[in-house]
Amino acid sequence: MISSDVGTEKMHDWKRETGKGKHMNTLTVKDLCKTYIINKRQNNVLKNINMEIGQGEMVAVMGPSGSGKSTLLYTVSGMDHLTAGRVEFLGKDINTFNAAQMSDLRLNEMGFIFQQMYMLKNLSIYDNIILPAYQSENGKGKEQRKKINDRAKELMHKLGISEIAEHDINEVSGGQLQRACICRSLINRPKMIFADEPTGALNQQNSKEVMRELNRINAEGTTIMLVTHDMKVAAKSDRVLYIEDGSIKGEYVFGKYSGQEENREREKKLSVWLMEMGF
Amino acid sequence: MFLRILKKDLKRKRTTNFILLLFIILASMFLASSVDNLIAVNGAIDHFLKLSKVPDFFAVALTDGKSDEIADFLEGQQWLSEYEIIDGFNLVNEDVTITECQADAGQTAYERSNTLFVGTIPSNFTKVYTNEGEALTLSPGEIAFPKVEADENNLQVGDKVSLRVGEEEQEFRIAAIVKDAVYGSSMMGFKRLFITQEDYAVFDKQKDLVRTRIYNMNFLDEEKARSEWSKQNFTVISAIDGPETIRMCYIMDMLIAAILIVVSICLILLAFLVLRFTIVFTLQEDYKEIGIMKAIGLRNVGIKGLYLVKYLALSVSGALIGLVFSVPFGKAILKRAIVNIVVERTQQNFVINMVCAAVIVGVVLLFCYVCIGKLKKISAMEAIRSGSDGERYKAKSRLRFWKRARMRPYFYLAINDIMSSVKRFGVLIVTFCLGMMLILLPLSAANTLKSDGIISEFSISPSDVYLDTGRGESYIVDMDGLFQDMEEIERTLAEHGIKAVTGTDMGYMIPCYSENPEECVSYYGLQAMGSWERHYSILSGREPEYANEVMITEITAKDMGVGIGDTIHFKMKDRTQDMIITGTYQSMINMGQGYRVSRSAKMDPEYAGGIMCVQVEIEGMESKEACEKLEEIFPDYKIMDAKGFLDSMIGGIIEQIDTLTYFIVAIVLVINSLITVLLMKTLMAKERGDIALLKSIGFADHAVKGWQTARVLLLLAASVVLGTLLSDLLAPYLIGPIFAMMGATSIQLVMGSAEVYVGYPLLLFAVTGITAALCAGGVKKVDLKEVNDIE
Repeated sequence: MISSDVGTEKMHDWKRETGKGKHMNTLTVKDLCKTYIINKRQNNVLKNINMEIGQGEMVAVMGPSGSGKSTLLYTVSGMDHLTAGRVEFLGKDINTFNAAQMSDLRLNEMGFIFQQMYMLKNLSIYDNIILPAYQSENGKGKEQRKKINDRAKELMHKLGISEIAEHDINEVSGGQLQRACICRSLINRPKMIFADEPTGALNQQNSKEVMRELNRINAEGTTIMLVTHDMKVAAKSDRVLYIEDGSIKGEYVFGKYSGQEENREREKKLSVWLMEMGF
Repeated sequence: MFLRILKKDLKRKRTTNFILLLFIILASMFLASSVDNLIAVNGAIDHFLKLSKVPDFFAVALTDGKSDEIADFLEGQQWLSEYEIIDGFNLVNEDVTITECQADAGQTAYERSNTLFVGTIPSNFTKVYTNEGEALTLSPGEIAFPKVEADENNLQVGDKVSLRVGEEEQEFRIAAIVKDAVYGSSMMGFKRLFITQEDYAVFDKQKDLVRTRIYNMNFLDEEKARSEWSKQNFTVISAIDGPETIRMCYIMDMLIAAILIVVSICLILLAFLVLRFTIVFTLQEDYKEIGIMKAIGLRNVGIKGLYLVKYLALSVSGALIGLVFSVPFGKAILKRAIVNIVVERTQQNFVINMVCAAVIVGVVLLFCYVCIGKLKKISAMEAIRSGSDGERYKAKSRLRFWKRARMRPYFYLAINDIMSSVKRFGVLIVTFCLGMMLILLPLSAANTLKSDGIISEFSISPSDVYLDTGRGESYIVDMDGLFQDMEEIERTLAEHGIKAVTGTDMGYMIPCYSENPEECVSYYGLQAMGSWERHYSILSGREPEYANEVMITEITAKDMGVGIGDTIHFKMKDRTQDMIITGTYQSMINMGQGYRVSRSAKMDPEYAGGIMCVQVEIEGMESKEACEKLEEIFPDYKIMDAKGFLDSMIGGIIEQIDTLTYFIVAIVLVINSLITVLLMKTLMAKERGDIALLKSIGFADHAVKGWQTARVLLLLAASVVLGTLLSDLLAPYLIGPIFAMMGATSIQLVMGSAEVYVGYPLLLFAVTGITAALCAGGVKKVDLKEVNDIE
């Protein structure tokens, strides 16, 4: 059972039941395997992963270092090739996409946030944000670009970084920079955001601010999949997947995060569950 | 341990190290060959004149073989140290028949662009050499041709020609193409063919034939010799002051040599610029590693030692390979540039090459030492934190994208990169710019020589048609024949319904002086003839109108110390003619020395030196159409338009400059391509994280490739514009003086042509663009996960 205030866990043969049939999945992963060959030795990083992420869901992936969390994120988002299995994004098998189609998908339907606040250092914060939008089909023409500028300003205003628009990337704090990265990931109104340790390089205060924004974006309907080490971050998700040695070992379902007051209780339950999982 | 690190570094950074090695090879090759060529070219003419023994003074005259007043005069003169008389025969087109031509089997007619002389191989003065620099030797039945004549008629070694002198005709096999110091220069209109004594004796037995006789003299007392000679008023075709004048005759070849010097300097600059750029870039890549080495406790001296050993290994290998290539490369350039001169090459040349290669090793180590030197000032953590390139974060963005309403992202990224790192990319702009100048400067010389306006610089009034009757020399002794031929041409054209006027300029060599009759000098003068009334370009004053008026070139005015309004005196056999100077002009004939008298001036025909051509001006017809008509009407005459006429006079030089330009274009294209590969490889190695980031946010490969390629092309565009502007600006100072030495003191250089502003820039863009696009293909190999490599 999944409810908004009580967490549940499932082991090994987990399957999402709640909501099944009610929502169309944004992401469906079937029997995903990922293998690296290093020095002629096969290294199975992901083993038969099956998962679904529903539209508007926020799913955190946790696990020890080297467990395959980031590889899972990069593989399901099409940033890395899978070795076997199937990944469906909005019902389409992305494995059949060519490079140009994948670029289109990343440009228009997906948003990425990384642990390090990667931005082009020769561009101002504002120009970094609008860059993907100007590159898209909607970015051609004076009128279209005016709309993009309006959206960028609106996003920056919402995330509280309007005042740093014209700054260079070395002139702002890590939190501001990560929020700028979030703005960039949202500029093309993506269906889903993939975040790899979005608060990993931030202090506590900045982490809180970034998570508040991600929760708000999620509440507005954007699906989010994030990889994190931080329980406080994961506790703000709808669901937590625990991955170890390339396999999903368990799932903890919270339901929608509704605010600061229930946060401590969610963190406590997650902590207990993770301890049981051996984290 | 150092050796292990070094070995691993050389292996791991194969591409970068290979590119660096390649540029060290190029730098070493350019420097060694260019310095070698500079030295070789600088003393080439002096060496050649000495080698072939050019006399202090020589004259050419016609003789009937019975009496010779010049020979009588020279006999027993105290002021002479030695003299030699060489006999030969002048040939007209009909006297030479091509019997076997490998390049064109059907060709039989011979076309000469110069006065042709056949004689024996000189043994004392004015010796000649083969293309390979060997003294000429021939067997009976063999003949040697000067290069310009052979080229004009597509003749090469092994071809056969038949010569007719009087009633005798003999067939010869061309055994050598020769370099003739005195008569081989492009400015000399007299070319010699050489046969053996035995073959010459066959022609020489016809005692009643007119011979051309060359008198070579070396003086003991130069002042007295000149004074005595000028008193005699001999009738000669030409009388020339030895080495100094001959040296001036090589001005056209020196024009090529001067271009070669400019090219060499540019190549040396290019070599150093590219080396600096490569070393700074490759060391920047290692910056973080250097920081880590410092962090784990390696001392600055040790780190420096490590890199110095690496660069020493690379530079010594590169310099040695470059040294080996410098010899054929230098020879290839010199061979294309200097075709009429025997260039001295000794063991010293290779020593120079070795010194240059050593300089390259030193420069590489110096650059390396200076670049690593700045490590001293920063801590290990600073080196690591500031990223792989050692750059400190600072405000960089120069252009605001949102202000560019229509600019495509890849183009914006490219232009913003350049604007953000002007210093770094500036070096590349200067490098590309030098390449552009390398092409444009020789091109400006060639274009000026090819331009329509240049004909006026030869003291000729441009006309529709330039006609060579093939009887140029016979008019010297038969001026009435010239007038008859011109009248005949007009009459024939009139019969064909073409209204035309004809004209020509007769040349004279009359001794003249300004104040002291003892200081007579023979300048080459011209007088317009024929029914065509025409005008000539002047620099100041006005054209001569009356019989006692003359205009002189600025160089002659300076030599004689006279100006407009002064009087000069022409000393002819039976009288002295005073002439008032009415104007000055410039001329590229005879190194800018000369004069022009009015049509009514009474000049002694005995001093006539021949005509260049008969000019025909046709009413109501364009030059091209007129030439086609005249070719039909006069199939036996050589019909030329202005370009064709120029080609016949200085075609060899234009062709030489063109060949050199094409060679330079090829070199520049190779250099640009290599620089592009180097730039793209180094930038892409440095920007893998940025490329991955762009790909991760949805930029397709082609858009990223567009960014990388556009950046190179933008640099090239800036360089092309800068190179063109600089060439325009500097050409008058670099190329102008060479024309001034040739007599064109106020020449307007021709820079603007389609090939300058469109052709070559397009070629550069195409080749560099293709290279850049091919290199940008590496974008595909960048893994999106490398976004984590962003520093």
